[in-house]
Amino acid sequence: MAAVAGMTAFASAGTLSKDEQQCLACHGSAGMEKQLASGETLSLHISGDTFAKSVHGAIGCAGCHSDIDPTGHPAANSSIGGKRSFSVARVQVCRGCHSEQFKEWDQSVHAALVSGGNPAAPICTSCHSPHAVIKGSSAAMDTVPCKACHGDIFTAYAASVHGVLRGSGVTQAPLCFSCHGAHGVRVPTAGAGLKNACFGCHTTALAAHRTWLPNTELHFDVVSCPACHAPKAQRRVDLVLYNNTTHKEASEPLGVPEFASRAGSPAARRRGLDPAMLFTLLQALNRSGIEDKTSFKGRLDVRTGVEAHELAPSAEAISDCNTCHRAGADAFQSVTISMAGPGGIPIRYGARKEILNSAFSINSIGGFYAIGGTRITFLDVLLVLALLGGIGAPAVHLTARLAVRRYTNRTRHKQRKG
Amino acid sequence: MHRIYMHPLPVRVWHWSNAVICVMLCLTGIQIRYVGLINLMPFRMVVAAHNWLGFLLIANTFIWLLFYLSSDRIRTYHSELNPIKLFRESVRQFVYYGYGIFKEAPNPFVASIYRKFNPPQSMTYQLIMLILLPIQCVTGILLWDLTRYARAVAFFGGVRVVDTVHVLIFIVFVFYIPFHAYLGTLGRTPMEHFKAMFTGYEESDEGESTDKAE
Repeated sequence: MAAVAGMTAFASAGTLSKDEQQCLACHGSAGMEKQLASGETLSLHISGDTFAKSVHGAIGCAGCHSDIDPTGHPAANSSIGGKRSFSVARVQVCRGCHSEQFKEWDQSVHAALVSGGNPAAPICTSCHSPHAVIKGSSAAMDTVPCKACHGDIFTAYAASVHGVLRGSGVTQAPLCFSCHGAHGVRVPTAGAGLKNACFGCHTTALAAHRTWLPNTELHFDVVSCPACHAPKAQRRVDLVLYNNTTHKEASEPLGVPEFASRAGSPAARRRGLDPAMLFTLLQALNRSGIEDKTSFKGRLDVRTGVEAHELAPSAEAISDCNTCHRAGADAFQSVTISMAGPGGIPIRYGARKEILNSAFSINSIGGFYAIGGTRITFLDVLLVLALLGGIGAPAVHLTARLAVRRYTNRTRHKQRKG
Repeated sequence: MHRIYMHPLPVRVWHWSNAVICVMLCLTGIQIRYVGLINLMPFRMVVAAHNWLGFLLIANTFIWLLFYLSSDRIRTYHSELNPIKLFRESVRQFVYYGYGIFKEAPNPFVASIYRKFNPPQSMTYQLIMLILLPIQCVTGILLWDLTRYARAVAFFGGVRVVDTVHVLIFIVFVFYIPFHAYLGTLGRTPMEHFKAMFTGYEESDEGESTDKAE
């Protein structure tokens, strides 16, 4: 039965060489599989037709499976621990030809997650089925592999201004890899975030914003693009720990244990990190003897990756200053503090929103301030007292003068009469 | 009764334009800080107005500075270096405002063209003109273009620190301006000092007339 199935595959794989056809004599059999030590079942079936049409068809089986000794094959007794460990080990095969892509992937957040032991983190074969790779298949909305893991984000994207355009056939409209890169995918909030990706297409964005947005560069520095261009999204302020020496995000191992133990302490988790706790945390991170001093830099962003993809047409973007520059603005109701962990993945903790309005935070978050929105409450109290004092004290003095004068005049009048 | 030419034209021009600019800066500053609570004009417009008024204030301060640097009237800003005398005269002035004025006692301070401020007044003006106003102008310029002055802002501790200093001085001015106006009414008649600040001439029972002084 297996031989018949093999012959079928053999016959249809006309463009494959004799060697490949020899492999497919067995591996072309539907249902060919191997039991692994983990208890999983690994399919060994290869569709000869699909493989022949794939870009890898040209290099043949031995292009990747050069470790197989045809004289000793099948090595039915060779032990494979599990599907995942086998796939992770096999990425080195891809590296042989795709060294550039591998290098990019190796520095990506995906590779960092793999190193961290995340069983769902993508490796080469997660996105590229090795025996069925078709050129351009990753660049189409229907077949882009990212949505396999990021389905909810892809749904938001598909409904966004970018997704709608792409779906209607505008190939200049971005797909996942246009902004995030195909292999060197970084943490979207790291560094300048994805602003440079936005500017890649929207080259006149800065000039266009300068025509109406005061302190444009500053806004671009501390406000992410989706914070305004995804108008229905909920926003939050992320206070990111920065290295004052390198002017980059403070990252592992600098202060991570200290940061995690304080910002993630039971008390901080229970009631949120308050201004005093933040002050103490920064003091501890910058205690004497620590070479690299750190500070917090604020960034206004949307709360989730899904919301970051709900980009609306520019006419619907937030352009009313009062949206953020007023007390109680939605943008300042959620606060987190974070630092870059392994692979740049943020280690993030919730904080109390009062951090943004506290006199205690003047030094802790000296670099983040939105007029009106994050004003210091204590200064409001001082202003009221100054107004009361500035008007009240002269009013009291004037009233007293008039009262005394009236009393004196009346007394004099009586004395004259008397 | 003599007329003393107390306030030369540049001082009067500076004073009244300064008064208008400062009041407008306070009003626009309050709207900028309390957007949503006060909405006299659109936010962008009020920010632009505040910036322009700030530059006018700086230019106006140079009128004041250039006049006094090129005139012997600068003596009016010379500090009293004898602390005992300064303390005694200040106490005497405060006692007058707190007690003597109610008994219609004469003001212990008699102004002259080179000594037109009483001791507490002189100290207040020196504090405002030589310390607070320059700091307010510098912090205002930094806040006007935070990107251009990013390094200076970082040097001072960040935008929140710079803004806090700017607001604290603004609060001092909010307290000072009505107080200053009220103290201006404490002449022999409520309008005496106001008129003098328009005409330049103060009336005095002592000293000689300086009608032709300038």
